[in-house]
Amino acid sequence: MDIREFKDKLFEAARQSGIADIELFYSSGSSESVYVYNGNVEKFNSSSCGGIGTRGLYNGVMGYYYSEVTDEKDIPLIIDALIQNAGITDSGDEEFIFEGSDKYEALSLYNDELDAFTVEDKIDAALKMEKTALEYDSRIKSVTGSQVVSGRSEKYIANSKGLELSEKSNYIMAYIELIAEENGSTKEMGEIWAGTSAANLKPADIAAKAAERALRALGGSPVGSGSKNIILENRVFADILECFSGSFFAENVQKGFSMLKGRLGEIIASDKVSIADDPLLEDGFNSTAFDSEGVASYNKTVVDHGVLKTYLYNLKSAHKDGVSSTGNGFKGSFKGRVSTDTTNFYLKAGSLSPEQLLERLGDGLFITSVAGLHSGANGITGDFSLAADGFLVEKGRIIRPVEQITIASNFFELLKNVEETADDLYFSVSGVGSPSVLVKNISVSGL
Amino acid sequence: MLDKTKACNILDAALSTGADFAEIFLENCVKNSVTVINGRVDGALSGRDCGLGLRLICGDKAVYAYTNDIEYNNLMCMASDAAKAVKSEGHCIIRDFCVQDYRGGVSKASVMPDTVKKKTVADMLKSACAAASAYMDTITQTCMGYMDEVQDVCIINSEGLWAKDRRIRTRASVSAVASNESEKQTGYFGPGAMCGHEFYDRIDLDEIAREAARSADTMLRAVPCPSGRMDVVMDNGFGGVIFHEACGHGLEITAVSKNASVFAGKLGQKIASEKVTAIDDGTIEGSWGSVNIDDEGVPARKKILIENGILKSYMSDRFNGARAGYGVTGSSRRQSYKFMPVARMTNTYIAPGSDRCEDIIADTKYGLYARYMGGGSVNPASGEFNFAVSEAYIIRNGKICEPVRGATLIGKGADVLMNIDMVGDNLKLAEGMCGAESGSIPVCVGQPMLRVRNMTVGGRG
Repeated sequence: MDIREFKDKLFEAARQSGIADIELFYSSGSSESVYVYNGNVEKFNSSSCGGIGTRGLYNGVMGYYYSEVTDEKDIPLIIDALIQNAGITDSGDEEFIFEGSDKYEALSLYNDELDAFTVEDKIDAALKMEKTALEYDSRIKSVTGSQVVSGRSEKYIANSKGLELSEKSNYIMAYIELIAEENGSTKEMGEIWAGTSAANLKPADIAAKAAERALRALGGSPVGSGSKNIILENRVFADILECFSGSFFAENVQKGFSMLKGRLGEIIASDKVSIADDPLLEDGFNSTAFDSEGVASYNKTVVDHGVLKTYLYNLKSAHKDGVSSTGNGFKGSFKGRVSTDTTNFYLKAGSLSPEQLLERLGDGLFITSVAGLHSGANGITGDFSLAADGFLVEKGRIIRPVEQITIASNFFELLKNVEETADDLYFSVSGVGSPSVLVKNISVSGL
Repeated sequence: MLDKTKACNILDAALSTGADFAEIFLENCVKNSVTVINGRVDGALSGRDCGLGLRLICGDKAVYAYTNDIEYNNLMCMASDAAKAVKSEGHCIIRDFCVQDYRGGVSKASVMPDTVKKKTVADMLKSACAAASAYMDTITQTCMGYMDEVQDVCIINSEGLWAKDRRIRTRASVSAVASNESEKQTGYFGPGAMCGHEFYDRIDLDEIAREAARSADTMLRAVPCPSGRMDVVMDNGFGGVIFHEACGHGLEITAVSKNASVFAGKLGQKIASEKVTAIDDGTIEGSWGSVNIDDEGVPARKKILIENGILKSYMSDRFNGARAGYGVTGSSRRQSYKFMPVARMTNTYIAPGSDRCEDIIADTKYGLYARYMGGGSVNPASGEFNFAVSEAYIIRNGKICEPVRGATLIGKGADVLMNIDMVGDNLKLAEGMCGAESGSIPVCVGQPMLRVRNMTVGGRG
C-alpha cells in the first residue's frame, strides 16, 4: 500500500495505544546486475525490495520494529512489538523523535541519464572488461568475474512531530576479478569502480588496472622480519581508516569502547593528518542531505592538523554530551536501530606526488594490499596485525614484489607516525577515502 | 501464500523463453534480538523478513530475480521479466509437484522462541554481564547479545520439488573488555544452536561470560606476540577456522569449477598430511551449521572431504556443479531469498586423531599455543589466508609459558595441510557466521588440538 497512507494509519494507532511519538523510516530500492564469464552472460540478477523500520517512545523509552511487509493488517502487531521492546529497555539513555532541522541542502543524487543505461549496455561493458583483461597479457590466466550493476534507491522518513523527508539516488558499479599466473606464482586481483554517471564508466581502464596490479605482484616473496618504514597505498589506508572509524563515534566514547575518550581538543595525530566527514561532497558515494533521524547533514572536520575537533554524534549521544547532533545518526538499513556512521569520511590529501612519496621513503616497503581487517584488528585498542602484499623499495625505487608478510602496529600510533601524505586521494566504494601515506616504524614479520 | 496453480503459472512464465529449469524460493523469517551493555538493556529489536527469489537456469547461464512484493500479479511480472534474459529453444515441462515436509528433523525446538518472555532473555543477559564484571576488577565493559530466528522456507521447482522446511536458530554473543590505563582487550564467545530456547538450559552463559572475562584479563597482561616462523599448536573448537578458511573455501565448487582454487583437479590426490581427515556434515542434530535440506531442496549429507590426506569430495550446488560436471552434495546455501544459492560449508571439521594433547605440547620446543582463534579470510585462488589469534601463549621446552597478544597467522592453505604433523583427540565444534557470495550464513568450524610446523606468525613484539 502507499507509504503515506500506511503512515497515517500507523501513527493514529500509535496515538491510541499511548505511544507518545512515533517515527516511520521506509527505504526501497531496485537493481539489475549482469555477470559475464567466458564471453557469455553467466548470470543476470534483478531485485526490487523495500521495508519499514519504525520506532516509538512508550513511557519515555524507545521501542523498535522492522518489517519487509508494509501491510495495514500488521499494524496491531507492530504497535505490540514496539511496546514490548520498549518495555524491557532500561539503558537510561534518553532517545528522541526529531522535529526537524531549519534547513536542508538540495542535493542532486539522482542522475536521470542512468535510467537509459540498459541491460544490453551492461552486458557490453562487462564483456569489454573481460575481453580487455584476457587480451592484456598471456599471464592473465582467467577472469573469474566481470560484473556491471546499476541500481536506485529511495528513503523516506516521517514522524508524529510533523517531519517528512525523502531522497532518491542512483548509482552504477563495475567489478572485475582475475587471476594472473607465472612460474607457479598465482595472484588474484579485483578492481571495483562506482559512480553516478555512465559516461564515466571506462570498462577497458578498469580491466587494465586489475591486470596491471595482478601482473606486477607476480613472483613475490617475503622480506626479513623487523621494524620498517612503509608507504600504505591510498586504498590500503582507506580500509584501515574505515576499520577504526568507530573510535570517532561519540556513542562508543560514552560506552567506553574508544581510546579517544577525553581527547577533544588534544593532539591525537601528526600535523599531516586532517580527517573530514563530508556528507555534501559532490559525487560522494555516501552523500545525503539528512541522516536516518532526519537531522540535516553538513560537512565537518573531525581531525584538523592532528587535533581532534569533534566526535560524530546522533541525537542520543549528542544529548548525553550536551551538544547538537552532527547528523551522523544512521541505520545500516531500515531494519537496524539508529547508531552512528560516517558519510564521506576521508584523510585529506597532501601535496607530494606518489613518486615523490617513494623518494621520501628511501628504503622500506610499499604496501598495496592488506587482508584480515575484519579479524586481525582490535577496533577498540587500535591494534592490528594484517597479512600484506606490496613491494620492496630501495633508494626510492621499487625493487621487487613482496608477499606472505604481516604488518603490525596500532592505529593511533600510526596516526602519530604519519610523515607525509601524497596527492592521490582515493575513495573506496564504502565512501572512505585516503591518499597514500608514509609512516615510520611498522613491525613486519616475514622470513 | 502460493497454491499449486499460482506456483505453476509463475514457473511457466519464467520458462516461457526456453530455460531448462526454474525454481521458487519463498521465505518468511521472524527475528528477535536483545543487547545488554554493562548490565542494562541497550535495545531490543524484532522484525520480519519476507520475500521470494526466482532462479532460472539455461545451460551455463543463470538468472536470478527477487522481490518482497509477493502479490501474485507482481510475481508474474517478475517471472516474465526474468525470462526476457533467456533466449533458447528449450521446452521444459513442469512435473507434478510432490510436497515434502522436512520440518522437524535436525531443527527441533521444545521451547519456541516466541513463547519466551523478553524479560526472561534480558535477565539472562544481565546475569551474564554481572558474572563477567565480577570476575576481576580489570573488567570495564560487558556486552551481551541474544538473537533468535525462525525461518520458514518453501522451495518449489520445475522438476516437481515442493519442499517445506523450518530452521529455528538461537545464539548469544558474550564479550568482556578488560582495561588498564593504555590497553583494552576483548574476550568473546558466540555460542549458538539450531534449536529453541532450551539451548540456554544446556549451556551456562554465566560461566561462558566468566571465561570471556578471564581471556580478556589474561590478554591485558600479555606482552606483544613476537613475529617470525615457528611451530603453532592450535587448540580445539574455533581453531577449526584455519581449515574453514585455508581449505574449506577452496573445496567449494564455485571456485573449483572456474579453476580458481588450488584444489581444482586434485580429486584422489594427496593434498594433506596423512594425519588429516576432514568432514563437512550438515546432518548433526541441533548444530548451528546444520540444515535438513539445503537451499535448493537437496537433503543435507555427511561428506568426507579429505581422508587420510587424500582429497575425496568437493562441496557442490546445481548450477556451479554442472559447470564442473559434479553432482549436488546438499551444500547449496544462501543468507535469504535475496541471494542465488551456491555451495557453502555447514559443520566442517577435522576429525580427531590419535595424539594426546599433553604430548603435542610436550613435543614442541618453541612455538605458539593458540588457545582461542579469532576470525580470518582467504583468497581461494592462491590459498593465501590470514587469521587472528585471540588468546595465545609461547611454548618453550614443551611447556606453555607467558601469554602473548596481537598474534596473526598467515600462510597458504596447501602448505598448512601438508605441515600438520600432530592431531589430538579432543574434537570440538564452534559456531560462527561465514560471509561469501551468497551472503552470511551460520556454520560450525571444528577440530581437535593440532600442530602445524613452521608457520609465519605476525605480531608487534
